[in-house]
Amino acid sequence: MKFLSELTKGIIKDNPIFVLVLGVCPTLAVSTSVKNAIGMGFAATFVLVCSNMIISLIKGFTPPKIRIPVYIVVIASFVSIVDMMMAAYIPDLHKNLGLFIPLIVVNCIILGRAEAFASKNNLINSLADGVGMGLGFTLALMVIATIREILGAGTWLGIPVIPASFEFKPILVAILAPGAFITLGFLMALVNLIKERK
Amino acid sequence: MMYYIKLSAILFLICAVAAGILAYVNGITDPRIRKIQEEKETATRAELIPEADFPEVKGTLDTTFVYQRAIDKKSGELKGYTFVASRSGYSSVIKTMVGVDTLFNVIAIRVIDQKETPGLGANCTAEKFTDQFKERDISRLVLDKDGGGEGAVVSIAGSTITTRAITSSIRITLEKLQAEIKAAQGGEQ
Repeated sequence: MKFLSELTKGIIKDNPIFVLVLGVCPTLAVSTSVKNAIGMGFAATFVLVCSNMIISLIKGFTPPKIRIPVYIVVIASFVSIVDMMMAAYIPDLHKNLGLFIPLIVVNCIILGRAEAFASKNNLINSLADGVGMGLGFTLALMVIATIREILGAGTWLGIPVIPASFEFKPILVAILAPGAFITLGFLMALVNLIKERK
Repeated sequence: MMYYIKLSAILFLICAVAAGILAYVNGITDPRIRKIQEEKETATRAELIPEADFPEVKGTLDTTFVYQRAIDKKSGELKGYTFVASRSGYSSVIKTMVGVDTLFNVIAIRVIDQKETPGLGANCTAEKFTDQFKERDISRLVLDKDGGGEGAVVSIAGSTITTRAITSSIRITLEKLQAEIKAAQGGEQ
């Protein structure tokens, strides 16, 4: 039962962006379009799951004093491996995601989950935590990106969604950095409102 | 004291294992990545100047500068040159591959590498932007924002830095190419 709750908590209850407020930097940077959001979400999820598992495995072996540098080495190595493997074997996908892969290293969701969860829990629960948090991150990114892309470019996943008869001028600020802060602020307020009502 | 030596040793061990794994992965993937990169460049060159072979030439004035002569596959005539222009834009180094004819008029360009802002600067790869470089000579490789006046390269709204980097990198590299060709021809005579 614990496995299931670890898996689902990341989606709303402990959503990494709206509730834990982790990984905001890459969120602001890549939520300009839904395609980027999906790419970043899945790439980060993959690294998160792998690093959570490895860190859970070596937790008995790692002295607490040097745990942070050890986690960073593990995470950075995974990111580099993913980057090189993708460039060599799936170059088309790498062309689209290439930009986000180095960004994953500085995504504090991954370090945050390593420190707060994987270093204290067993392999299976760490795996569930990684998958759940990754999906929560991907979903949150997609919601923000949907709002920004529709407002800022009038498209969703590159497809025009606003009928041409409706004379729509894209709101450029939605795609620029301030648009990310504004959107994130409103969405956090909304999530808090929903949580308080419960 | 012993405790700290032990900590350092463990950290060193973990880093060494990670470095070993990375070196191994790099060893397998690096040749493939290079090959893919080369194939991509060859394909882009063929798009810019079709039906040609591209023997590579090293610069004589600047030995780090490399360009390709475009030789017609059938007649063996010189059709033009291709080269890569690069310069830092807003958030990355932008690389553009340029094909020019023998009179140094641009045939076509392709942005081959850039990491500019998605939705803004990243739109510089769109044909709407790159197509305006067709048939431009060096004097018309100026941005409208830089006093290019009528017929200048129209920049992308909100991405002046990106578009300026592309336009000026092409102009500067084209000047370099002209100087190299002149020097090469002077040497032959």
